[in-house]
Amino acid sequence: MEPPAATSPGPAGPASLRRPATAPGATAPTQAGAVPTTHPVIDIENLDFYYGASQALHDISLSIDHHRVTAFIGPSGCGKSTLLRCLNRMNDLIDGTRVGRGRIRVHGVDINQPDVDVIELRKRVGMVFQKSNPFPKSIYENITYGLRLQGVKDKARLDEVVERSLRGAALWEEVKDRLHESGLGLSGGQQQRLCIARAIAVEPEVILMDEPCSALDPVATAKVEELIQDLRSKYCIVIVTHNMQQAARCSDRTAFFYLGRLIEYADTRDIFTNPANPQTEAYVSGRFG
Amino acid sequence: MPPAESAAAPAVEFAIQKRRVRFLGLTLDECIKLFFGGNAVVSIVVLTLITYFLFREGAGFFGQNRVNLQVYRQAGLEYVDYLRRQADDHTALTRYLADVRLRTVQHHTRTSGKSLEEANAALTEFDVYVERYSAAIDPLRTMVGELSEVASAIKTKFIVNEDKKEERRQLLAEGKMAEAARVAIDRVDFEAELRPIRAGFPAYRTLNRELSSTLTQLAGNIPALPVPELQQRMERFAVLSREYVGTFPEIERSLESWDHNAPISASQAFSSFLFGRQWLTASFWQDWYGIIPLLIGSLLVSLVALALAVPLGVGAAIYVNQIATPLEQKLIKPCIEFISAIPSVVLGFFGIAVLGQLLRNLSQSPALAWVPGFPYSERLNILTAGCLLALIAVPTIFTLAEDALNNVPRAFKEASFALGASRLQTTMRIIVPASLSGIISAVLLGLGRVIGETMVVLLCAGNRIAIPDFTQGFAFIVEPVHTMTGIIAQEMGEVVRGSIHYRALFVVGLVLFLLSLLINFGAQKIVRRYRISVG
Ligand SMILES: Nc1ncnc2c1ncn2[C@@H]1O[C@H](COP(=O)(O)OP(=O)(O)OP(=O)(O)O)[C@@H](O)[C@H]1O
Ligand SMILES: [Mg+2]
Repeated sequence: MEPPAATSPGPAGPASLRRPATAPGATAPTQAGAVPTTHPVIDIENLDFYYGASQALHDISLSIDHHRVTAFIGPSGCGKSTLLRCLNRMNDLIDGTRVGRGRIRVHGVDINQPDVDVIELRKRVGMVFQKSNPFPKSIYENITYGLRLQGVKDKARLDEVVERSLRGAALWEEVKDRLHESGLGLSGGQQQRLCIARAIAVEPEVILMDEPCSALDPVATAKVEELIQDLRSKYCIVIVTHNMQQAARCSDRTAFFYLGRLIEYADTRDIFTNPANPQTEAYVSGRFG
Repeated sequence: MPPAESAAAPAVEFAIQKRRVRFLGLTLDECIKLFFGGNAVVSIVVLTLITYFLFREGAGFFGQNRVNLQVYRQAGLEYVDYLRRQADDHTALTRYLADVRLRTVQHHTRTSGKSLEEANAALTEFDVYVERYSAAIDPLRTMVGELSEVASAIKTKFIVNEDKKEERRQLLAEGKMAEAARVAIDRVDFEAELRPIRAGFPAYRTLNRELSSTLTQLAGNIPALPVPELQQRMERFAVLSREYVGTFPEIERSLESWDHNAPISASQAFSSFLFGRQWLTASFWQDWYGIIPLLIGSLLVSLVALALAVPLGVGAAIYVNQIATPLEQKLIKPCIEFISAIPSVVLGFFGIAVLGQLLRNLSQSPALAWVPGFPYSERLNILTAGCLLALIAVPTIFTLAEDALNNVPRAFKEASFALGASRLQTTMRIIVPASLSGIISAVLLGLGRVIGETMVVLLCAGNRIAIPDFTQGFAFIVEPVHTMTGIIAQEMGEVVRGSIHYRALFVVGLVLFLLSLLINFGAQKIVRRYRISVG
């Protein structure tokens, strides 16, 4: 076994696999024995996706469980972000994109049907972006933005949500005295946690995170990772990352993509210690890409 | 082999050097550098020259205006104008009476159903009253007429003398001493010349007392009118009339203490321009160079234009940037930008031939009678010019606002959508606020563009040099005005170089220049702040 692959799950093992460790199975049903019971939230079946004429995703099938952290890994350009953005239809914003064959179902509902309300979908499936992008507004307004969109005006409720979301994002202590200052005045790591707080303020079920730590230093990264662990009990989290250690540390399930195809999808521990596919092994051990 | 190679190498290098092109000893690179550097320098030099020229030509105005005002005083014109103003105020009151009469006739014919003759007959008593009221001023008018002639004569004398002095100066400059000595120059003794004017003061006093008692008596005896509303107007008239009489002692005091030798300060020469409410040139009596009516004209026309252009331009920008399909974008953008390719003289032409007429016809339709000032009869006015200027401002505002919207980072938009915002919510709550400073600066630049526009206002603003009447609310937008740009274009061709009028136009140009500079500066300031806040 290669040193990186062997050592990386080492420290993560206790953290990410602590609960399933009692029942170390390879499939989701066995994991249902974990304290937060799980069930699939998102079902992707044979998905093809196109940017204009060029196909970015080929025949992807996987299901994502509630109360689990699912990591997408793979070399640059393999389609991780594309798949993630399919899940809350953010790709609609790009001209010329289309889903070809295949289906994405959230709680059994095909989200690409014309009668689906995208706005409602995005309220249920929130997103945190690679580059932190707080609005040029105050911290308070950043967090209440989503609720105000839904017409919530009650000051007490908004205050409560701001505090709860900021605490949830482990940012409350740092910013509680400057809620009405601009969100752009925060440090990069704080901004990213602000964006997470903003996403959880609308209480989605699924949180999609596209390389949330790529612009952060190790300390801020550690905080966000810790946060992800805490959020797991309440949400279904999908995280795209280039950092193998991070995937090993904080995810329960890992999907490896290559050139727009899903190569392997399994428990994180298996992916990192005992990958079924030689390409996966090459990638997680760093001999690849 | 090696020796042959080493021999060939320098030969090739040599050939390259020979082919290098040189103009006047400069390489091509240096020529290019010189060309572009030269262009930059030329534009800076031209700007400096224009500024310098404006200041130099304009600066002389204030000295000349001081002389102008000095003569106004010394020749007694100022004195006569006190009396003239008193007479004019009386005329205004007479006009008020005429207005009340018109309303009464309307009341009789419309409401009471009388014929015109009957209505007139019912007003006999009123007419006698009006007759008496207006006749009361006749003695003062006669006096003003007589004194005006005297004052004019003094002024003419002075001006003739000045012309002669100028003639002699020229002769001296040419070295013709003998001819110069022959030019006879009388000294104008203002003190003596003014004596006949001052001698009329006791007569004025008696006349004034009579006028005052007549008017007071008339104000106490207003004729009865049929409706309370009209009666109220007459009571208001009585109040105005009493107030008018109340100003008489003040006028007398001013006349008594009037000193033809009192100096005109430099600040008076300045403020009579900057705050002067009259622009009156080539008059027989006295020229006034007050920029206020022109400034107000320019500002009003521009504001009306902006009021129309901002919603249109910004709205179109938001639509094109946020909502339109790529095909619509391809269609709308060039169309709006194409508007700026229309020569402004063509627009002005269109304004006179089509828009003015159209708006006037519209104003006469009963459905639009609620619009302030409608219906109106002046075809060329603030509204017509404002509409056309709006057309000129729209492309500027549209293009710059669209840029500002485009500059909003895509990430904001995505974040907003990801939180479940609709397109409209994202536009209104995120995109527009984030680009607000850019939009404001677009509007300011549109204002700058409009305020400097000449042809359209010259053709379509009506060119009446007067401050619009603001007492009727927004009705002023259908009044004709003149503008700073218009007056320069209209009068610059006719004035004598170096004359006070010529210089006054330069100062107007200078004010315009400074105003545009200020607007542009403001716009840049805002844009800079915007960059910092987003970056
Ligand atoms: N807006 C777009 N238009 C056209 N093609 C795109 C667009 N975005 C991505 N692609 C293409 O789709 C493929 C997948 O891109 P994607 O961004 O999903 O990769 P990724 O796995 O997220 O890579 P990275 O790790 O570098 O972020 C790439 O080949 C990319 O060139
Ligand atoms: Mg990506």
